[in-house]
Amino acid sequence: MTAQILGAVFCLIFVADTITAQQTSAQQISAQSIPGCLFEDRLFEDEVWAKVGERTCLRCHNEKGEAAESAFRLLKPDSIGSSDRTWLARNKTAFEVMAKSMEGDESRLLLKASGKLDHGGGEVLKADSTGLKILQRFVRRLNGQDAEQAVDDVYSASEAAAFFKGLTMLSPNQRLRRITLSLAGRLPTTAELDEVRQNGDAAVAAILERVFQEDAFYERLKEGFNDIFLTVGIEDNAETLLSYHHFEKTRLWYQHWDFSNLPEAERERAGWKLADVYRDALLQEPLRMIEYIVRNNRPFTEIATADYIMVSPHTARGYGIYDSIKDQFKNPADPFEYIPAKLSALTGRDGKTQESATGLYPHAGFLSMFHYLRRYPSTETNRNRLRARMFYQHFLGIDIMQLAPRSTDASAVAAKYEIPTMQAPDCVVCHRTIDPVSSIFQDFDFEGHVIPRKDGWYKDMFQAGFDGEDMPPSERWRAPQWLAERTVKDPRFAVAMVEHVYYILFGRKTLQSPDDIDDPLFAARRRAYLAQRKLIESTAREFAASGFNLKTVFRSLIASYCYRIDGLQAVAMNPDRAAELDDIGIVRLLSPEQLERKLKAIFGKEWGRLNGETKILYGGIDSVSITERNSDPSGAMGAIQGILANDVACYHVARDFRRETPERLLFSTIEPSVVPGDDMSNQRIRQTIVSLYQRLLGQELASDDPEIERTYLLFTGILSDANAQGRFEPRESYFCGGREEFRTEDPLYTIRAWRGVVTYLLRQHAFLYE
Amino acid sequence: MLRRNFLNLCRAAGLGLAAPIGMDSILRGDEAKKAETAGYPGPYYVVFNASGGWDTTYLMDPKGVEGINRLYQQGEILTAGSHRFAPTANHIEKGMSNENFFAKYGNELRTLNGLDLSVNNHTPCARYMATGKLDSTNFPTFPALVAACHGADAPLAFLTFGNYSATGNLVPMSRVPYLQSLNLLAKADFVEGNERAPYHDPFVSDRIEKALQEQFDARVSSIRLPRVERSQSMLYSAQVNSKALQRVVPFIPKQQAGERLAQQADIALASFKAGVCISANLSIGQFDSHNNNDTDQMKLIPEFLAGIDYVLKRAADLQIREKLVVVIQSEMGRTPTYNNGNGKDHWSINSIMFLGPGIGGNRVIGATDEKQQLTPVDAKTLTTNDQAGVRIRPEHIHDALRRLAGIAEHPFSKQFPLLVPDGEGLSELWAG
Repeated sequence: MTAQILGAVFCLIFVADTITAQQTSAQQISAQSIPGCLFEDRLFEDEVWAKVGERTCLRCHNEKGEAAESAFRLLKPDSIGSSDRTWLARNKTAFEVMAKSMEGDESRLLLKASGKLDHGGGEVLKADSTGLKILQRFVRRLNGQDAEQAVDDVYSASEAAAFFKGLTMLSPNQRLRRITLSLAGRLPTTAELDEVRQNGDAAVAAILERVFQEDAFYERLKEGFNDIFLTVGIEDNAETLLSYHHFEKTRLWYQHWDFSNLPEAERERAGWKLADVYRDALLQEPLRMIEYIVRNNRPFTEIATADYIMVSPHTARGYGIYDSIKDQFKNPADPFEYIPAKLSALTGRDGKTQESATGLYPHAGFLSMFHYLRRYPSTETNRNRLRARMFYQHFLGIDIMQLAPRSTDASAVAAKYEIPTMQAPDCVVCHRTIDPVSSIFQDFDFEGHVIPRKDGWYKDMFQAGFDGEDMPPSERWRAPQWLAERTVKDPRFAVAMVEHVYYILFGRKTLQSPDDIDDPLFAARRRAYLAQRKLIESTAREFAASGFNLKTVFRSLIASYCYRIDGLQAVAMNPDRAAELDDIGIVRLLSPEQLERKLKAIFGKEWGRLNGETKILYGGIDSVSITERNSDPSGAMGAIQGILANDVACYHVARDFRRETPERLLFSTIEPSVVPGDDMSNQRIRQTIVSLYQRLLGQELASDDPEIERTYLLFTGILSDANAQGRFEPRESYFCGGREEFRTEDPLYTIRAWRGVVTYLLRQHAFLYE
Repeated sequence: MLRRNFLNLCRAAGLGLAAPIGMDSILRGDEAKKAETAGYPGPYYVVFNASGGWDTTYLMDPKGVEGINRLYQQGEILTAGSHRFAPTANHIEKGMSNENFFAKYGNELRTLNGLDLSVNNHTPCARYMATGKLDSTNFPTFPALVAACHGADAPLAFLTFGNYSATGNLVPMSRVPYLQSLNLLAKADFVEGNERAPYHDPFVSDRIEKALQEQFDARVSSIRLPRVERSQSMLYSAQVNSKALQRVVPFIPKQQAGERLAQQADIALASFKAGVCISANLSIGQFDSHNNNDTDQMKLIPEFLAGIDYVLKRAADLQIREKLVVVIQSEMGRTPTYNNGNGKDHWSINSIMFLGPGIGGNRVIGATDEKQQLTPVDAKTLTTNDQAGVRIRPEHIHDALRRLAGIAEHPFSKQFPLLVPDGEGLSELWAG
């Protein structure tokens, strides 16, 4: 579909009646004529298909494309992970038939690609382009004129299978730490570590199931999905999500709250607080639906099809349904207890009730949720196209705007046609896909309220539908539901959801197919792409087979090589291999939120400063104008890492030493009185460093590891420098020694030296990255 | 390890990354140390972006015919040297009028009208204008590229306040939302920024930095996954180079400016002056005037021009004005007709303006006709040529910008080729 949307200008359109009768189309080739599983033509697969067929021809020459009527019709891959490669064999035959077909002395394949013979797609491959040279070589080979053919054209199965060779994996213990920190914001417990020690990966899988029960997992889940949907990014007061037209009497319920039990001086402040909590509760509703679905093992298709919304006692008051459902709340005083609820068909201030065959508001998960529609607003000229674009991106994994087709002269096209989006081929190619979905949302106004346009929906655009199917007028009252039903049946839905979970786990989007066929590393990059696609698609199949239980996706991806890869065996890498492995390994810079949770897990307390302005400085998002996280640290972020390391070490080191030894988190095996000297002291210092590496960085190193040695020298070096000063303050600084709370004596400078060590460790890659 | 070898190693591994400032000082001795103290010396690159799509006919490409403009007629069009511009002084409440802008900067200003974007949606247009490449999401923006080529080791090499800001994985982007953030960042080693309260004694800090450097050096020869190698280098660079932020402190204004662009400009200019920044995206939005075009554009264009004026004046105060290369752009133009809401929709013909060192002023290149359609341009002479001219597109502009910045042959630029056809390069675009 992506190709279908994007490709018209470039596509290779053959006109059916220009093909001679005796030619055989790809569709007529028997699957048995070339066994797909034995397909081994490397020139065709890696060059003709990967660089020309798939990228250029298939965009139009497919079942639903602009050239669907052409005899040169190609098949889309069944599935990257499928071993059945019949589709590829058929496509090869189609190319061969076209290549052998001659017009005079020239192959019709080359002539068409060059824009000749009335090719509907025009010139799709320029003279001297790599793509045309590949086709020329293919034609020469077919005619027995290519001496280059031979060994390199033969597909090497062993080479393809070796993608993960030479990579090292996390130990079960390390994987457990990754899982609990990433998904539950905590370190593994001692019992869990014992369990893993005894049962290895099986124990990790069992613990993952328990993590799924933890509230912290759902915090992470919601945070991750907000990165994708951004539904908390509403700039206006959240109660405006509920329209004045329909909720005039209820949406501002907090303004009439009875505070008479409070002293008068406190009432205004209490009112503000109540409003804030209410607004927060409203903003959380979409993400609470995700939590509800996943926590209760409901099909994740409900994100589009749910016939309910999630409401809390506060938000239920806003909708005016609190009295009818209050008995269902366990604690009606808890503003953040959410339950599913259904709205009745909305009645406006004019007394008219929206059309509904059921008497209910036609809920369709996010697709009919005021939050989602407000987050992606419309205008008189946008006509819901932003909503359609986001629908494709969020629910089908298609970024329509990513590779917009170039028009020869867009301004001339716009001037030439009365309705370019319905008449100009350059425009129609996208708008035929976008506009029907835009029209689905026709009864929602710019702000996402159910207020149909006074003049009726626009006639000069494609009417409501999806994927070539028109929506019957009788379905208009439940249009989002009509769309949702088709969306979740589309195979792309499952893939898109897997890609969302991949983003949450890996911190980045999945790879895109490489686009530069002249890149000498194109083949390597494509292998990397295909290896990852295989994982995504096999996970999508498991997801669908599980009844769309999203936990299946987490299980599958966490169990995969991609999640477990930790390093590289000591082998030299050539550029091809380096390109293949370029995206391998999680290696993500922790977000401000993740970093705070990690600090809490390790030190028992968040830093508490990676919020507000500092959060943005540290590459975070505000869900409104800043919506993408920084993946690499700038110098500004490096400065914040320095402040964090200094400040966290400053707060915790002296405090930890004040605790009873068994209760210490950092220094349970050493006292400030231990200084380097005798073997036992030296060994205790080293062991403490080993335990700090384990706790702070998750690294299990031997006491003679070079990293431990370097840190040992840092500790002893600081003490040596301090002693070389002649005289130093025998007390930890005011700020790091307890401030007004207590004073910390440090006559040997060891507490400050350990503070230096902790500062050093907090600036490590292993701490700041996952 | 020599810096050059280090960078070569990174490139061999396909990595675009920053080398820590500290490495220079070790390897190039005292002379380099002196230069570093001064930081990156310029030129500095500022891209002003009118986000949402400006109406070029109310600025540098006036029409006044065919109902294109309701606020003036063709006969009212004004000139300043070679520039023709729309009269706005009588239609604005605040900000800078076209009259004042062109009178003040016309002699330095180079305008190009009739820039063909080929598409008219925000996302692809913004990407195309920013990178010179329409059909790839991997390309870096010009400010990111120039920052990577000239000084990825600067702690705030590429500052962005909006607009499309992809980096091509060559250099980290920095967002510094508030002026006072710079103070916080510059004093990372002191409790709450109080210089009388260092976290560590100096010898402790030195030990920590030394241990980090030893660790980094030890890793260079180790076998790591490409992502690990790249991210460890990025992290080390970010932390080491952050020390240079101390140089910004003297240039931070005591009070935050009131206007949107001025707030961004103060951060960028202080960073330029301190030598810790190479390029910046400054951006204000709301130009997408589908409703009430004239009202919106008459509010926003003057604000935009006033912001540019502020930057140039403040740069003069800081004595870096002559080192400032300025690109003034928007992601698209607006239609020659008004819609039913008195607004104007997206238009794929755009304009762009430049000024700064190496750019000849008082010249207008390209044109659009009375229907706001572009006229092709002879790539060599830069005169309009209906028959044999080329449609100037963002790749032509970026190709020229790369040459202006002296980075056209840089390996990072080669990594992202613009593929301007032979004979279409605008070799004289900047000539006086």
